[in-house]
Amino acid sequence: MRILNILVICALVLAAAAVYKIKFDSTLQAARVAKLSNELRHERDAVAALRAEWAKLDTPARIEELAGRFLHLQPVKATQFDTFDNLPMRPPAQPAGSDAIGAMLAPSSPATTGSLPAAPAQR
Amino acid sequence: MAARAKTPESRWQRSLRSLLYGRNVDREVKAKARLGLAILAFAGIYGVIALRLVMFAMASSEHGDHRTVTQDAVATARPDILDRNGATLATDVKAPSLYAEPRKLIDIDDAEEQLTATLPDLESKELRERLASKRGFIWLKRDITPKQQREIHQLGIPGIGFLTENKRVYPNAATVSQVIGLVNIDNQGIAGMEKWLDGQGLAALHMAGLATDRLQRPVQLSLDLRAQYAMRDELIKAREKFKAKAAAGLILNVNTGEVVALVSEPDYDPNNPREANDPTRINRLTTGVFEMGSTFKVLTVAMALDSGKATLKSMFDASHPLHYGRFAIHDYEPKGRALSVPEIFTYSSNIGAARMALAVGVEGHQAFLRKMGQLDRLRTELPESAEPLIPKHWGELNTVTIAFGHGLSVAPLQAAMGIAAAVNGGLLIKPTFLKRSREEALKIAQRVLKPETSKDMRYLMRLNAEKGTASFANVPGYYIGGKTGTAEKVINGRYAKHKLLTDFMAILPADKPQYLLMIMLDEPQGTPETHGFATAAWNTGPTAAKVIARVGPLLDLEPRFDLPKADQLILAKAVESR
Repeated sequence: MRILNILVICALVLAAAAVYKIKFDSTLQAARVAKLSNELRHERDAVAALRAEWAKLDTPARIEELAGRFLHLQPVKATQFDTFDNLPMRPPAQPAGSDAIGAMLAPSSPATTGSLPAAPAQR
Repeated sequence: MAARAKTPESRWQRSLRSLLYGRNVDREVKAKARLGLAILAFAGIYGVIALRLVMFAMASSEHGDHRTVTQDAVATARPDILDRNGATLATDVKAPSLYAEPRKLIDIDDAEEQLTATLPDLESKELRERLASKRGFIWLKRDITPKQQREIHQLGIPGIGFLTENKRVYPNAATVSQVIGLVNIDNQGIAGMEKWLDGQGLAALHMAGLATDRLQRPVQLSLDLRAQYAMRDELIKAREKFKAKAAAGLILNVNTGEVVALVSEPDYDPNNPREANDPTRINRLTTGVFEMGSTFKVLTVAMALDSGKATLKSMFDASHPLHYGRFAIHDYEPKGRALSVPEIFTYSSNIGAARMALAVGVEGHQAFLRKMGQLDRLRTELPESAEPLIPKHWGELNTVTIAFGHGLSVAPLQAAMGIAAAVNGGLLIKPTFLKRSREEALKIAQRVLKPETSKDMRYLMRLNAEKGTASFANVPGYYIGGKTGTAEKVINGRYAKHKLLTDFMAILPADKPQYLLMIMLDEPQGTPETHGFATAAWNTGPTAAKVIARVGPLLDLEPRFDLPKADQLILAKAVESR
């Protein structure tokens, strides 16, 4: 009976110590959570402020003014657009190792112009 | 035994009673039983206390959160507003505000002196009065800079504090002001889409103090910031060039009803709310009503074609001015002969349009315009709207004048909606300022015209750009069609000869319209370049051409060259598909 009592008292002390430890840890964790969420809020506000500034720097009015000052570009004309249908076909792949430019330079090779190979080569 | 019969007890109660009070029970057993009962009672009480403690421990963290929230964000958060490509049009940033608690102030004079030294724009006399009041809380200055905050903090005046508030900023300043509107100092929407947002339940959230989170979903508008900017730039130039009182422009997606750009010059900077109250800076496209002039002939011709009273080959007599009582309807350029429907449209013949409307009749005309949404107030997301001005007694003379756009005042956005329906295949789609897909648009679309009528209208619009009044608006590569309109303004109940309202409606591309562009100038003046003319063909037409050349590539319109004339491309297709 006495042994049982001592055991119970020991268990009580241990339990109290464990509860204290858990409580202490949880307080620490809670403080950390509060700190982190506070930091998160600040970061989010900072991101929002930066985004607002970015949007302000990115306004068409400012970009146009900067482009006018530093770039010598002109507005795109409608004639400068073209469709994919009007693109020339890609030349057939040269076998690896062959020197296409060297072959062109060689006097014996048939004359080719531009990116299009000569007619016989296409077949 | 008799007592037991009187009060029926359960076996448990009986045994308990005999255990505690019974004479026949052993004293020791009785004592143990009493002790046990006491232990049970105490255990129960402690159990309740422990449970409560656990509950408090769990609830305490929530209390803490509540406190930080109330310290933060007095003016509550609003969702961001984005354009159709995701560019920010309006967003929230945090800004500190200065407040005082007069009851906690120790030395009012000292506090007042120090504050006015740091914030020179505070009125010292007024500040002293406010600090001397025995109120619990007063705002001293909303939205101060972080530097000022630091300085005041270092003064260390008791009873003075800061609260961080959400402040609305509009990075694009005046460019989109007419659509998004603005907010007041408490971050509540007072105009435009901002006010609409409040109507969508945001105001209720504010009341409950819940809208403090900046994680609210952003709202995406149908506007394209780049197109909006290009349009505004050209309109400002046009307004200066023609010395107009106001200029307005609209790009409407005819297939979805989305407003891609809406400019009404003069506008205001929503970051500076004082400008917004100026009545000349209203949104003329939704809040103003105007007699649209000849652009209304698009609706008149569509009505005549759709009713079957006319075809493209019909002829209408325009040899003499049309007399009505003491009124006579003249043409701007009289031809003195009968005109076919395409001729009426391209010469913009008032007499011809009037005769077409008379062929349909007064009631048919009214019913048609109602069907096209021209006689009822058009309500969009924007809270500002205007009721059309309809003649009280609509007689034949009214039908005659309304046929060429006089005598009925509508909001320009409303007219654009009607004309979009005339060219997009005959579907009336209510304009929206929010992003909308074609499927959603089809759900709310109403069929108001036959598809063939719509095809004929596209042909007429294109023809007008090839050899009619819209030819100044031609841009090579964009197969546009259009109709000009010039209306004399009513001043003191009479039409004023030299106060004009000119407008232009362009569709691009004319064979398969995607966008409707509207340009409107209020009281433009003639210039040497226009030979002194101030009619629509000379000012809104060329302005539209400049806008199209700039906006076309932004709106993914593919430039096409060497297209056949309208009668081959549009009419031939129409015959094929019939």
